[in-house]
Amino acid sequence: MTAVVVRRLGAALVVVWLALTLAFVVLRMLPGDAVDDTMARSGASAGEIAARREELGLNDAIVQQYVTYLAKLVRGDWGESLTSGQPVTELIAQNLPSTIVLSGLALLVGVSLGLLLGLAAGLAPIRLVRYGAEGISSLALSTPVYWTATLAIYFFTVEWDVLPGVGGQGSRALILPAAVLGFHTAGSIAQVTANSLRETAAQDFVRTARAKGLPELDVMDHILRVALLPVIAVIALQLGFLLGGTVITETIFVRRGIGRVLLTAISSRDYPVIQGIVVLAAMTYSTIHAAADVLMGMLDPRVGIEEWDAGGSL
Amino acid sequence: MDRLVTRRSPGGCNLVVALVVIPLLILTALLIWVLADTGDEEDNGSLAQVPALEGADLEGSNVLVYGLTLNPSTFDPHRGAAFEIGIPFYSVYDTLVYRHPQNLTSFVPGLAERWEMAADGLSWTFYLRQDVKFHDGTAFDALSVAANLDRIMNPEIQSNKAKYLLGPYQGYTLIDKYTIQINLSEPYAPLLDGLSQVYLGMVSPQAVQNTTNNSYQFHQVGTGPYKLVDFIPGERIVLQRNEDYNWGPVFYAAAGPQSVDVIEFRFYPDAATRSLALESGEVDMIGELPPTDAELLVGKRDLRIYQVPIPGMPQQFFINTTHAPTDNQNFRQALIYGTNRTAIVDAVFQAQSPIANGPLSSITPFYNPAVEMLYGYDPEAARQLLAAVGYADSDADGIVEKDGLPLKLRLVFAPWNQMSDVAQLIQDQWRDIGIEVELILVPDLPALRGYVESGEYDLIAFTDFGVDASLLNQYYLSDGAFNWSGYNDPELDQWLHDATQQQDLTQRGELYALAQQRIMEQAIVLPIREFVNLDGASTNLDGVIFSAQGWWPLLRNIQMEP
Repeated sequence: MTAVVVRRLGAALVVVWLALTLAFVVLRMLPGDAVDDTMARSGASAGEIAARREELGLNDAIVQQYVTYLAKLVRGDWGESLTSGQPVTELIAQNLPSTIVLSGLALLVGVSLGLLLGLAAGLAPIRLVRYGAEGISSLALSTPVYWTATLAIYFFTVEWDVLPGVGGQGSRALILPAAVLGFHTAGSIAQVTANSLRETAAQDFVRTARAKGLPELDVMDHILRVALLPVIAVIALQLGFLLGGTVITETIFVRRGIGRVLLTAISSRDYPVIQGIVVLAAMTYSTIHAAADVLMGMLDPRVGIEEWDAGGSL
Repeated sequence: MDRLVTRRSPGGCNLVVALVVIPLLILTALLIWVLADTGDEEDNGSLAQVPALEGADLEGSNVLVYGLTLNPSTFDPHRGAAFEIGIPFYSVYDTLVYRHPQNLTSFVPGLAERWEMAADGLSWTFYLRQDVKFHDGTAFDALSVAANLDRIMNPEIQSNKAKYLLGPYQGYTLIDKYTIQINLSEPYAPLLDGLSQVYLGMVSPQAVQNTTNNSYQFHQVGTGPYKLVDFIPGERIVLQRNEDYNWGPVFYAAAGPQSVDVIEFRFYPDAATRSLALESGEVDMIGELPPTDAELLVGKRDLRIYQVPIPGMPQQFFINTTHAPTDNQNFRQALIYGTNRTAIVDAVFQAQSPIANGPLSSITPFYNPAVEMLYGYDPEAARQLLAAVGYADSDADGIVEKDGLPLKLRLVFAPWNQMSDVAQLIQDQWRDIGIEVELILVPDLPALRGYVESGEYDLIAFTDFGVDASLLNQYYLSDGAFNWSGYNDPELDQWLHDATQQQDLTQRGELYALAQQRIMEQAIVLPIREFVNLDGASTNLDGVIFSAQGWWPLLRNIQMEP
């Protein structure tokens, strides 16, 4: 068991390192840097702008910047924003809680709605219900978050004026963004659930169970035990979608959070901030995946044994 | 298969039931929470959580909610360069001098009662008011000014604007407790302009001492009509009226029962949601409305739209003079003749801004109206100029060629200020005179700058704001940091340089008139429209006026009807 944990941890570290390195290189391939942004309308002379660039170490060789950054990072120093001078850890600490609350609530809505829609689309005895559920989940999958968000704001705050929309505070301001984000999260959960249910329902053991005269509700119980395994994996994957979705949701609904910080940081080439958020996201993602794997192992002995034997995969 | 049977769930606790019931319960719970929790958390709800406002009678107060656009990287005026800083903080700080909002060329006393320049222009003496107190209770005097100047020049705070507004600043001399002299290495006409901007607002030296470079922005202390009581980045800024304030400039209204007591600023970075916030009453006032939205709001009975002209440069394209074909003056002139600015302003800006004719907008002091005579929309003149430099449509495909190569220009721009729409119209209009246009949209400022580095552009869009015409220096001096047209003209350099040092207003005006004339004759910029900030406000607000710089509201003057 210890060996497994160590292997998992090692694998997670590799994922974080790879993500960070990729971000580091790609960012520096983008045109321009933070000084272009901060000193754009400063009135400074070309020489003064060049001096600032030198001071921030933006002229150093990329390898040198990389080594310096990594050396600081392993000591727990995440650096400071190039545009505001604020420590990256402080910036994250200020913004992470509201992102967690939003994505947590959205996940709750998404999983609940997704499972219901998926069950309805896969198992409902009435055809109209199945089609309706399928239609809704396709809509959730195929429309972009910003479209639903803008529509929701328009209807709920302007037309009917029942909810705070943009820039609101307090718990009620969470409703719309969490509902919108949750709605889109529900899309793939519903589709995977429905597909998996249909596939499982067509398997031999189901026929056997029916042939043995099991009550229909118990047959469904058996179907679900098998069919829900891929759903757990897709829920874990949806957390990645949520991380991306919060960027858009937080911007449109004007909520503070990591997503908005990231967006601003990218448009101003604020390298340390972006890298910090990438590290954070990679850590979160690896943790979630490890957790999902463990959960799958617990629910389905087949998964666990295979993986344990194979020496643990990423 | 036996296992299937043995694993029957006991007691009828069936998975399918659980999977339907639990999500339904969760969704119902959420729905109940939504329905039960209506009302009450309106306007004052969030303000009640501000510690500094505890005990304040928010019910009986005039509370204004103001929509800001983005949260810039810092709200510390000495460090940042964003004009958004001034929307709240122009009223938190006082400056030594003020530009009169109704008479842009005149400076009126602020924290300095009077001032004088030495005959050689190398030093300015400021005589300060003696009755001024910071919000933290400390007194304002010459030492405070000295501490401010030291802070701004301190390389550690990495000033992005304030430092450069001081130009050839060399230090100060304390004359007495209320008199300070600022020393310069060469005469500098724009000094008062710099001192009148929020970036040179006077901060409390004690507050600076109690904070770090980064944390000062959350605990800003000035001498102005409003004090900062709460700032959560990206969420809100809360100001409260300074009851002791009676040292404002002449154009500040006296406080009265209709003055605003508390102002809450919220952030609306997404243009599409700004008008929604105003329309739904979530904010009482908001700036930078998109023109089409503002047009729709004009008809609303409870809203008023203010068109506030912004001095400085218009929305424009710099024309690259360093390579063919745009290195040719006649060619560049053809581009201006071939651009129907009126059509652009009508279609994209709903006729809510004037067309631009030169490198400065018409309300900017030292604007030269002679540039208006230079280029009307004249596609025929454009075609003739193109023909004169050797372009003809030999294969009748509608695009002119020279030496067998069809004419194609690259327009580089970022999406701000409806520039994509503007560029598409230009593309249409220039096809009419035989030019094919490639539109290159970049996402942000660093990417724009990347194009400048590569030189791969024929026209590139950028703009800047400011009341003093020395704004032109960065963009038109041959060694200017933003000389993106690559234009190099020793005579223009000399005029701009002399004008920056010249104290005599008439002579200064003549130099800038020459400079503007030259810039347009040489056609190194394609002006499109003058900037107008579209502010929207509820009709129960009166006295909505803006500082000389255009962006910053005079919060002191706003009157609220209950």
